[in-house]
Amino acid sequence: MPTIKIPKIPRIKIYGIDVIKNFLFFAFYILIILFIIATIVTPSVKLFKKTQKEYFLAKNQLQLVQNQYKEVSQTLQSLKKKNSKILNALQKEFNIKDFTLFAKNYMKIDSIKKEKTTNYKDKFIATSYLISARIKSPKNFYDFIDASKDYKNLIRVYFPFNFIKNKNDINLTFKIEVYNLKNKLNADEKAH
Amino acid sequence: MYSFTKPKPKPLFKEDTKLWLIFYFISILLFVGFSVFLLLKAYFYNKDTQQINKETIYLKQKILKLNTQKELIFLQKTLYENIQIKNSVIKTSIKNLLDLIPDPITLDKFLLSQNKLIIYGITPTKDVYNMLMLPPLESIFEKTQTYFYQLPNGWYKFKSINTIKADNAYN
Repeated sequence: MPTIKIPKIPRIKIYGIDVIKNFLFFAFYILIILFIIATIVTPSVKLFKKTQKEYFLAKNQLQLVQNQYKEVSQTLQSLKKKNSKILNALQKEFNIKDFTLFAKNYMKIDSIKKEKTTNYKDKFIATSYLISARIKSPKNFYDFIDASKDYKNLIRVYFPFNFIKNKNDINLTFKIEVYNLKNKLNADEKAH
Repeated sequence: MYSFTKPKPKPLFKEDTKLWLIFYFISILLFVGFSVFLLLKAYFYNKDTQQINKETIYLKQKILKLNTQKELIFLQKTLYENIQIKNSVIKTSIKNLLDLIPDPITLDKFLLSQNKLIIYGITPTKDVYNMLMLPPLESIFEKTQTYFYQLPNGWYKFKSINTIKADNAYN
């Protein structure tokens, strides 16, 4: 059987250092380092860069959304402040006694009858009341309509308007519609 | 055979080999350590990103709710303004209709509904009514019917029924 002769690495020494052996160690070192870079370091760097990019993108997005939230929140607060009268008017329950007191300045109320409550434009409810009253002149009624805009509820004066002459007064029959929010804003806020 | 030198223990690795091996070990350790550090950093970045994304989604939902509230306020404002305008229009309409009544004519009843106005009153003559009151009523309403009843003193009681088409009725 033929024997394979492995050539013996020659030993070249300079100042006692084995040049060939050290060169082989160095070459092997380079190979190992390249292998580690290719298999461990590069994927780690790639993953790191990817997650870092995602992190900064998300952070940037959060900053934008935070600014937007702040802006919307401020706008909402200023809107609420600016329209507090309207918002309160649509949330307050209608009180017949209070209304009679208010209307007393313009007419003598004989009766107020609640008629029906209907949905209005999805978000609101309108409750109608039939009012019988006595006025001295139609001007009282005009003044009442003008003053109703400052009343604590949102009131719409509505048909029919019946003016019937009495001895000293005019008997007036008319309807009012009181508008309220279907789901009150406060309830919404609490839910949030 | 006898030797004059004492046998020295032969090391497993020569000095330079040992140095190389230590160098290998430290290098590998540094590279692996660096990779582990990056992986850990990536893990924490990932964790933070998830947290940030959750917060972003939560804020977006809050913004949606705030926008809904904003829309609701605008709706309320629009409704309020519409009602005020409608009240003002009603007031002007009634005032204008009552202002139509000329001095010689007195009213007993003035019944106004969405598409109909019925007036009961007294006029000295039919001509006064026909000349002073009928023309403006006819210009406003599509159909005007008047019924007269003579009174013992010669004056006339009248009933005027004025209608407009349902399409044009006041809402």
